[in-house]
Amino acid sequence: MSIAISDIKTQELYSPDISEIIAIKRFTEKEKWFEIRLPEGRSLGHQPGQFVQVSLFGAGEAPISVTSSPTKEGSFELCVREVGMLTKIFHNLKVGSTIGIRGPYGKGFDVESFKGKDILIIGGGIGIVPLRSLINYVIDNRKDYGRLIILYGAKTPDELLYPDDLKLWDKSNDIEYHITVDQGTPEWKGNTGVITTLIPGLDLDLPNTITAVVGPPIMYKFVLMSLKTKRIPDKNIYLSLERRMKCGVGKCGHCQINHSYICQDGPVYHYPELKHLQEAI
Amino acid sequence: MKKYQLNKKQLPSFIDHLKKQGTVFAPHKKGDASYSFAKVVESDSVILEYNRTLNSIKKYFLPPRELLLSYSRKDNSYKKGTIGKEKKIFLGVHSYDMKAVLKLDYNFTEGNPEENYLLRRRNSSFIGVSFIPDEFHFSQSVGMPVHDTDGFDIYLEKNDDGYTVKIITEKGEKLIKEFNGLCDALDISSNHIQFQNKLKYNYNRLPEVFEQSWNAEVWEEVAKRCVGCGTCNLVCPTCYCFDVEDNMDLSLQNGTRDRSWDGCMLNDFAAVAGGENFRKSLADRQRHRIFRKFRYITYITGEPWCVGCGRCTAYCTAGISIVDIVNQLCDEYEQKYLNRPVEQSGLNLEGL
Amino acid sequence: MTTEAKNKPKVAFFDFTSCEGCQLNKLNLENDLLDILEHVDIVEFREAMDDKAEEYDIAFIEGSISTPSCVERIHDIRRRAKMLIALGACATQGGINAMKNLQPIEEVREAVYGDEKYRFPTLPAMPVSAIVKVDYKIDGCPMSMPEFLKVLKSLLAGQEPIKPDSAVCVECKLKENECVFDKGMVCLGPITRGGCDAICPSFGQFCTGCRGLISNPNKNAMLEILTEHGISLDEAKKRILLFNSYDHSQSMPK
Ligand SMILES: Cc1cc2nc3c(=O)[nH]c(=O)nc-3n(C[C@H](O)[C@H](O)[C@H](O)COP(=O)(O)OP(=O)(O)OC[C@H]3O[C@@H](n4cnc5c(N)ncnc54)[C@H](O)[C@@H]3O)c2cc1C
Ligand code: SF4
Ligand code: SF4
Ligand code: SF4
Ligand code: SF4
Ligand code: SF4
Ligand code: FES
Repeated sequence: MSIAISDIKTQELYSPDISEIIAIKRFTEKEKWFEIRLPEGRSLGHQPGQFVQVSLFGAGEAPISVTSSPTKEGSFELCVREVGMLTKIFHNLKVGSTIGIRGPYGKGFDVESFKGKDILIIGGGIGIVPLRSLINYVIDNRKDYGRLIILYGAKTPDELLYPDDLKLWDKSNDIEYHITVDQGTPEWKGNTGVITTLIPGLDLDLPNTITAVVGPPIMYKFVLMSLKTKRIPDKNIYLSLERRMKCGVGKCGHCQINHSYICQDGPVYHYPELKHLQEAI
Repeated sequence: MKKYQLNKKQLPSFIDHLKKQGTVFAPHKKGDASYSFAKVVESDSVILEYNRTLNSIKKYFLPPRELLLSYSRKDNSYKKGTIGKEKKIFLGVHSYDMKAVLKLDYNFTEGNPEENYLLRRRNSSFIGVSFIPDEFHFSQSVGMPVHDTDGFDIYLEKNDDGYTVKIITEKGEKLIKEFNGLCDALDISSNHIQFQNKLKYNYNRLPEVFEQSWNAEVWEEVAKRCVGCGTCNLVCPTCYCFDVEDNMDLSLQNGTRDRSWDGCMLNDFAAVAGGENFRKSLADRQRHRIFRKFRYITYITGEPWCVGCGRCTAYCTAGISIVDIVNQLCDEYEQKYLNRPVEQSGLNLEGL
Repeated sequence: MTTEAKNKPKVAFFDFTSCEGCQLNKLNLENDLLDILEHVDIVEFREAMDDKAEEYDIAFIEGSISTPSCVERIHDIRRRAKMLIALGACATQGGINAMKNLQPIEEVREAVYGDEKYRFPTLPAMPVSAIVKVDYKIDGCPMSMPEFLKVLKSLLAGQEPIKPDSAVCVECKLKENECVFDKGMVCLGPITRGGCDAICPSFGQFCTGCRGLISNPNKNAMLEILTEHGISLDEAKKRILLFNSYDHSQSMPK
């Protein structure tokens, strides 16, 4: 194998765009929402499910999913859970602060191929973050898609994200919206139990339903089992994986499982592709 | 192909000639019994007969530590690190290390062609040299004989009086053009050089073995002896994983974003926030390392990603041999899937 | 933590049972020290138990805990410090001081204090973290200067420093050192936590493991490596325990 090195156009892969935080909301003790404007209000041009590398000089970079729909113009949104060094510093930023953005990276949900189908969304915990991009995309292109069914689970009512969106989804008679928490509180009126408890009761048009699942690693096993019991064909299932990432552009090797780089071929995978990748789930 | 004879005593003047055309890098002695590529200052300190260098010439294209950006936190501005455009001539490269560069070319151009690598990699010429395989080399088994000239501009094949100089490319022709003193090539045909160390199967049969090797016993066995030091990753000419870290100076305002070589044998390589580690055990990590060399990229390109340089084995303090691992996988494969009697592969894992 | 002039963080250094090698090391900072002083007020205390109700943003602790009065004193410091950082092998792992744990304690007291041993009650040497919460550890004997600066910078910039968790071999390979095993020595680099830039092998010396072990060290395999290179099993264990006896003597393979 010989590659003509001098003919290849190179890319500046590691230079972030300095972008501005234009709005912040706190959702929970651990999660905050940020609205970001790229230089000159350029559009990010992402697909639902893709991520960006957020760059905070002095702290480093972290992959964060885009949570707004590509249909939203002029800015995009992130939702960040505080878990460590970089995310803590991110949480301390104010409106008007600047951050670096690289991306969008990876493969998202193939919304074109979902056209005409019913969409079943299954989001656990922070997994709702990339799914919200897909949900809003479907809402903004409502006539292109069939039913929109959202299953959302969190550990406790305090950990639910996007309070405004949840109200909207709940009220809309165009969206079938089910929510559950693992542990309720005295005020909690809704379902309690893990997210898989919501699956058996669904009435689905099986061959015509696309399922998009995102959640913590442990959730996948159980959700996939329930989906199997429900006889949802594997080819209708999409899910998003998380791994350590450093570069986001298929170079650093950290995100690799088998012959696949999650930052390139994922994070969203068509389930049949994943089934044969050991270590994936 | 044009051939000449370069006599031993002409070597320093040949190197001086090269130095006029660019910065020359060549093997030098390092420490008590090792070799290392370094910029040539004194032409007569170059050593062309060596077993292997500690690091390969990868270090010139993907430096062990490299500044990606320098930033100011005051206004969140940054500058890219500068990369010199000097012409580089690599002298005395072994065929497997050349092949490793060609493989890195694939990794750094495939998908997103990386500027840092490519800027360093351009303007390079390569002059190969033959070598006598020692107990660790096995490049023949992965399809790279000693005299493989793929990637070289000029190739020097050792003979009794010095070297047969083979001009491989036009670039090579130019490099040598104004050097007078070359004689006509002696009339000796190149001798095929044998390897002491071999994989049990030739590389083109390995995919079928690796297809069945995920659950092989060898991973756990090797993990018992491995200390997870990462040496085997860091010295490998085709490993290219890296870590990125921001460093600040004492003003607490300015700093640099630096990358450095990383390795999948290390504890936190696949660890994420919250304590999850996707390859916690040394057995999982060994399997990943070996699969990286013989299955994953191979699955896509059809080529092994190990060039048989023997570094990971020669420099492993635990004496873990990649050849033994692969050979044991072949044995397990034969035993389980071909039902053939196992030949001894020489791997002794008793007493672990 | 802000770095504004009027409100510089207060930093203090405390000494416990150690050779004070780390203190000396710190004063060798020279130029860097001046830069540090721009950001912090250093209030150095050797005896903290007077009842000044001084509070510290960062308390650096050197030395191991080896007497009942050390225990009292470290509790007191912890109460006054927003952040407590252990400096050097003695403080982070009990250091060489903890070797005495391997001998019966009476013998140690006898050897150290002779007839006066009963006036000096002693405990097994312990790392600071055995008594109070330690926010960060700067390893090494003496402690690693670059790591000290790195941690200080991170903290002053309001960040949490990340602890390196790869072996000294990694840094050795980045520098393309010839391995000291190839010079006929034996080296603890393969299981010792890096961060010192492999300083000993870079000067042709073997690593004694002064920065402690990486997490999940494969001690069995390391013992095998050492014995393969001609060290008796007993001696091999001793080498590994030299700096690591507090954390690892229990789990040492028999
Ligand atoms: C594709 C993808 C999408 C993500 N989307 C979101 C999101 O929308 N919202 C959100 O809050 N989080 C998201 N994460 C997780 C987020 O990237 C990590 O929580 C974050 O990197 C932790 O960094 P830290 O410095 O705060 O944590 P620390 O524990 O201090 O991290 C130390 C280092 O470990 C590495 N690291 C740790 N965890 C991860 C991880 N999960 N992925 C990659 N590197 C890691 C980083 O290199 C970091 O520098 C996503 C991760 C991936 C892979
Ligand atoms: S060099 Fe040897 S001991 Fe170190 S990680 Fe590799 S195989 Fe394990
Ligand atoms: S895996 Fe080992 S033998 Fe193969 S190229 Fe890498 S270092 Fe050389
Ligand atoms: S860590 Fe070493 S140098 Fe520092 S005090 Fe202890 S013995 Fe002395
Ligand atoms: S000298 Fe020590 S630290 Fe360096 S590579 Fe050899 S064993 Fe590892
Ligand atoms: S090389 Fe080993 S002994 Fe030397 S400073 Fe580093 S950890 Fe300590
Ligand atoms: S994040 Fe670097 S290769 Fe995927």
